[in-house]
Order: sequence, then C-alpha cells, then structure tokens
Amino acid sequence: MKKISHLAVPYVVWTILLLALPMVLIVFYSVVGEGNTILDVSFTIDNYKKFFTDKDFLIVLWRSVKIALETTVICILVGYPIAYFISRSEEKYRNLFILLVTIPMWINMLVRTYAWIGILSENGVANKILSFIGLGDVQLIHTQGAVILGMVYNFIPFMILQINSSLSKMDNSLLEASQDLGADGKTTFMKIVLPLSLPGVVSGIALVFLPSVSSFFIPKMLGGGQFFLIGNVIENQFITVGEWSFGSAISVIMAALMMLSMYVVRAIEKKNKVDRGDD
Amino acid sequence: MENKKIIQFRNIVKEFDGQVVLKSIDLDINENEFVTLLGPSGCGKTTLLRILGGFLDANEGEIIFDGEEISKVPPHKRELNTVFQKYALFPHMSVGENIAFGLKIKKMNDGVIEQKVMKMLKLIGLEGYENKDVTKLSGGQQQRVAIARALVNEPKVLLLDEPLGALDLKLRKEMQYELKRIQKEVGITFIYVTHDQEEALTMSDKIVVMNKGEIYQVGTPVEIYNEPENRFVASFIGESNIVPGIMLEDYKVKFDDKTFDCVDFGFKENEAVDIVIRPEDLDIVERGKGKISGQVEDVFFKGVYYDVTVETVEGTSVTVDMEVVKEHEITSADGKEKISANDFYVDIEDMASLDEKEIIARADAQAWNPETDDYIAISKIEYDLKEELGSYSIKFSTNSGTAIERKIYVIDQPYVRNEKANEAVSAFNFYKTVEEISESVALDTDLKTWANAQGWKLNNEEESVDIYVSYDFDPEEVKEGKYKVTFSTEGREFKVNTTDFVEVGTEVDLTFFPEDIHVMKKRVF
Repeated sequence: MKKISHLAVPYVVWTILLLALPMVLIVFYSVVGEGNTILDVSFTIDNYKKFFTDKDFLIVLWRSVKIALETTVICILVGYPIAYFISRSEEKYRNLFILLVTIPMWINMLVRTYAWIGILSENGVANKILSFIGLGDVQLIHTQGAVILGMVYNFIPFMILQINSSLSKMDNSLLEASQDLGADGKTTFMKIVLPLSLPGVVSGIALVFLPSVSSFFIPKMLGGGQFFLIGNVIENQFITVGEWSFGSAISVIMAALMMLSMYVVRAIEKKNKVDRGDD
Repeated sequence: MENKKIIQFRNIVKEFDGQVVLKSIDLDINENEFVTLLGPSGCGKTTLLRILGGFLDANEGEIIFDGEEISKVPPHKRELNTVFQKYALFPHMSVGENIAFGLKIKKMNDGVIEQKVMKMLKLIGLEGYENKDVTKLSGGQQQRVAIARALVNEPKVLLLDEPLGALDLKLRKEMQYELKRIQKEVGITFIYVTHDQEEALTMSDKIVVMNKGEIYQVGTPVEIYNEPENRFVASFIGESNIVPGIMLEDYKVKFDDKTFDCVDFGFKENEAVDIVIRPEDLDIVERGKGKISGQVEDVFFKGVYYDVTVETVEGTSVTVDMEVVKEHEITSADGKEKISANDFYVDIEDMASLDEKEIIARADAQAWNPETDDYIAISKIEYDLKEELGSYSIKFSTNSGTAIERKIYVIDQPYVRNEKANEAVSAFNFYKTVEEISESVALDTDLKTWANAQGWKLNNEEESVDIYVSYDFDPEEVKEGKYKVTFSTEGREFKVNTTDFVEVGTEVDLTFFPEDIHVMKKRVF
C-alpha cells in the first residue's frame, strides 16, 4: 500500500504547482497594490473597492450573470427532451446518440466558435437561407442572441449527458408502478420521472452555468465587443491594460460568486429532501 | 362458494423475437381466489402476469376482465394493481406518500386519502411509519408498503410478482401467512407468481402449474400434490419417487418386474405410465413383510424425520482391468520432442464410428516439447484397420518425424444387461501409466473416458444412464500392475421419509397401500 501511495506524489506536486499555487497567487495579487516588488509588498483592498464602486463593472457583472442564466435555462429546456429521448431509446441506439452529442466536443472550442462566425456573418449561410425564403437580411452576428446561441451550443452536451445519466439509471419498474396505480404518461412524468431526474439537472446546471458566466471567448467573437462580459474584463485587465492586481481581484470575486451559487443550489436540493421528511 | 369468473384468458400467445413464451394459454380465475402461477424460471408465468397488468401485449388471444375485453386497455385504466418483484417504491416519497399515490391521482379528497392510508398502515402493521423515508425501511417493511400501495386503490384483483423473492427464509414464511391473512381480510382475488412450490402450497386456493409456456395442471394444493397429472408436476411439487411402469389393466400396475394393486383406472391395456409414490407414503418394514425388498443406502436426519434411501433393484455393473504400465513415451533423436500413446481396446460394433479424432482420444496420443512443455500437433496417423477381431498396429507421428507405435485390439465386447432395471452397461480394459493416474485431476471422469464406460436404457439406447466408478487402489500410490475398476449404475432407489431410524446397509422391505400409488399418463409435450 505504501508503495502505491508513493505513486501519487507526482500528482500531488502537479496539483500544487498548477492548481493551488496559481490560486494562491491570484488571491495574493488581488490584495497587493500596483508596482510591488517581491521584497516590498503593501496589502490593500483597493482593487475590490474599485470593482464594487464602479457602476460600469457592476453592469457587466449583471449582464454576465443574466446571459449565463439564460443560457442555462435554454440548455435545460432543449437538453431535457433530448436526454429523455436518448434514455428512452433502444439500448443499441443509445450509445450512438450519446456519441452524436459528444462528437462536437472533439473539435476545439475556438474552431467551432469561428465556424459560427462563418454561419452567422452578414454574408453567412444563415442569412443566405433567410433571404432565400424571403426573410431578407437580418443582423445575426454581434447580437446577444448570437452570444447565447454560441454558449448553448458549446455547453449543452454537459447538460444532456448529466440528465441522461440520471434518467438512464431510473428503474423502469417505477414507471410501470406509477402507471399501474392509475397515472397516465403525463402524470408519471411529472410525479416520478422529473423529480427523480432533478439531481442530474442540478449537476447539469453547475456544468453549464459556471463556464457560461466566466466565458470570454464566445462573447468576444460572436458578440463583437458589444456584449462585453466579465470574462472579457478580466482578460483585458491582464492582457491589454496590464493591471494584474485588478484582474485578480475580479477573478476572486467571480470565484466567490460561483461558490456561493453552487452552495445555494445544493442548499435548495437539501431543503427539498428535508421537506419530504417532514411532510 | 361463489364461482363468478373475474378473469378469463383465452388463447393467449406471446412470442419474443420469434421465441414462443406462451403457447395458447386458457385459464379462468374466480372472484376472491388466491391463485398461484407456479413454475420454474422461464416458464412464462411472469409474462402472463405482465400481460394481465398491461405491461406487455399478447400476440394473440383475449383477456376478459369482469366481463369486458381489456387487451387494448392501457395499464393505468385497468382495475387491478401490481406488487412488483423489487417493490418499485418511489424513492423520493415517504411511506405515506407512496401509499397515497394512487388515491391522489384519482383526485380524492385529502381527508379521505389520509383516512385510507392510515387504515392501510394498520392492515400491514406499520402504524406510525407514514413519514418515514421508504429507502430506510427493511426489505420486509418495503414489501408491506408495496402491498399497501396497491391495495389502497381497492382493486378487484391484486397481482403479485414473486414478491417474497428478496426476503430471507424466516421473513418469507411470516409474509406468507401475512399475505394470506390480508387476502382473506380484503376479500379480493390475488394472483401470485412464484417458483417456490412450498409457498404455493401454503397460500393458494388454486395452483396453476406452468412449464415451457404451457399450463400443465390446474388444481387445489391437495389435488396438485396428491394427484399430479404428469411427471413434471409430480417432480416439481414436493419430493417424489417416479418410476416407469405398465398399466396391465384397471387397478393393476406393474413396475420393477412386479405387479401391484392400485386404485387407478381408465388407462389402455398395457399402457406405459409413470408411477408416483410420495416418500412419506412408503413404510420400512422387516424383510419378508413388505411388498418390495431392498437395502438401506443412505440415511439423512432432517429434523422431524429421516430421509432414507432404499435400493430395491441393484445397479448394473461391469468390472474391467486397468493395466498400469511403465512410462510409454518416446523421445526424438535430438531430444527436442516427446510423444506418448497407449494401446486400447475397441468394440467391433464401434469400428464404423472410429475416426482419427476418436483414435487420438482413445489412445491418449500426445506430443510435446520437454523443455517448454508446449504441445506439438500429431500430424500423421498410419494404421490398417479391418472390421474383424484381432490386433492392429497404429503409428502416430509429428511433423518432424518423431513417432510412436501402439496396438488397437478389436474385440467383441460383451455388455452387461439388467432386464429388471431396464439398463445395460459396458466398459473396456485399458492401459495407463503411473503418472497419468496420479496426475489426473478428476479421476472418476478420466477412468470413465479411458475405459469408454457407457450405460443405457434397454428400451431406448439413446437414453443414457449415469455411471458411478469404484476402484480399490490408491491413486497416489499406484504402481505398475493390473487393477480392477468397476463401473456401475445406481439401480432403483426409493426415497422414504420415516421417523424411525434404520442403519445403513440393513436389508428391509418397503410397504405401501394401493391408494399410495398414483398412476400418471406419460405425456409428450
């Protein structure tokens, strides 16, 4: 046993170097002022103050959360029926469908997003089709719709896979029992299938909301700079402006926000369980 | 007893992927009956239940429920409820919510629902459990909740699909009585599926014995046990001695070369039949005072009684010589290959079916590399065999020319006939080395193969008879020389359940009354 645990040493070192250390550094950067050297450090919370006192940043934050929420809701509404369909299909087709859902993820996200630019741009495929059926030129790219479309497209597989796995695990005899007790298809779905698949939906939400709220590449490419999100602000601070401390502070705020939202989701889930017990 | 039919199955046929699981089932079930569908797994009993529940569609036939054809009615509109094999309780609901599920769907008034749930909890003995999490209950408790959840809807018929299968023995017995009590109390039809014959006998008003998609017998537990209609039913329900015999005339049956009085009639003259005698109907008496003589073979203590095996017809046996010889392997000139084989006997009648594969097997011809122990193929067999008695040379060789020469003795092998037991046994002398015997992992099986020992029924050569091996050498200590090996059959044995102890080896007689013999038609399914 001891020998085997030694095998974990490189992994632990790796985790510290690439995960823990950067996190510590980001937190560290976020609480020091500009122009510090290693030897001369002054701590400050100015970076945080700056974020919360500037209305523009708060608007961007609000917009990010809103777009991420919209993305998540659309992913649930579109993903759930697909996942349900996959879980109800015959075993031999099920793996094929799951493959179809995951295939796009084999291609790099940047490449896929560029493809969407091609489709949505003024002379793109989408506009050609629309004008062919007489709907004329429509501004598709650089709209909020384009940003949400890009996010849904990129993150929906996570939602589908999570919901599908919780639906597939469900014992078929539960559905039979429900029918046996007089419930028709719709009632069985509402009273048995949906409640039992909620854990899958919750983890799907986590996997879609978190990357959506912090994404910066999709809004940049498909939003064309008009839909500046919090991820873009952070990117700018590091790359264009060079204010690492401020960028770090926003990152820490985002991390805290995400942790808080996950905590809220889990708490709601737990509360549902407790309610059941007290009923 | 009222006999109103509540369910009628008419010519139900079900196929899965071209495989017929139900072959034209006709069955009537009465009101307020506890009916058990009994049969081994795969007999179609669960399929029939699922067709009734509406979870499967029959390929053919109709189901008449309370006077109405319901084949096309979806499960949620059928007036019956099911207790599923693994309970299928809803894990996200409490005990009370599970039981109330069906009533809530019917949009019943909350107060009424609560009253009914409480009544059910009382019926199943789980008062005060309504707020408990179903996943935290024991198997027996979950079972009770599943029953309550179904019964609360006041169905006309309750279907139970092996509901006690997952419970331990003691709990299962308790639940058997419990289920029977509940059925009597609520007074509705229970259709119960099980493969446990004891469960069926304990609880049922009517047992439907099924096998291979057909109904073999329908009757009360007493009828099924005492008057089985065929061999399958007799052997599936309880322990029994089943003996082939001949019905000479009404009230006279012959088996094991003796004629006995019986109470059965209505068979053709000299019709071949199966005879059942239950172990508890046989009595062991002193030699000379009974109807069949035999010897006590085994005695097992079963608590309330002894399970005694009495052999009434001795088995058939054949003794052959096993010649243990020196190592008979040959090493090639370069020492890289070894080859071995032994002489063997073959019956002149078997010559026709003797091909190279068979020869290699019988001679146990093998070649191998002594360094790596890898097997080498025997590529060439040279022989000149005639269908005449005598000895013939045979030569086995490998690709690189390593060869061994052995003899095949073609003989006219007499076999031992045993008319009384309707069987015959044959075996051959054989040659083996010390190593082959001491290295054998399953010596009995190997001895049978080496001696080509076979047993068969005299009236049907295709039907083989089990052979047992006995020998008087110690396989670990065997040396060169000749040894006797005996191959024998079991003979006729009767199981007797008795409260009196008898010594193994005692010469006894068995006695029984004419009414203890039950004669069944041989049924070809």
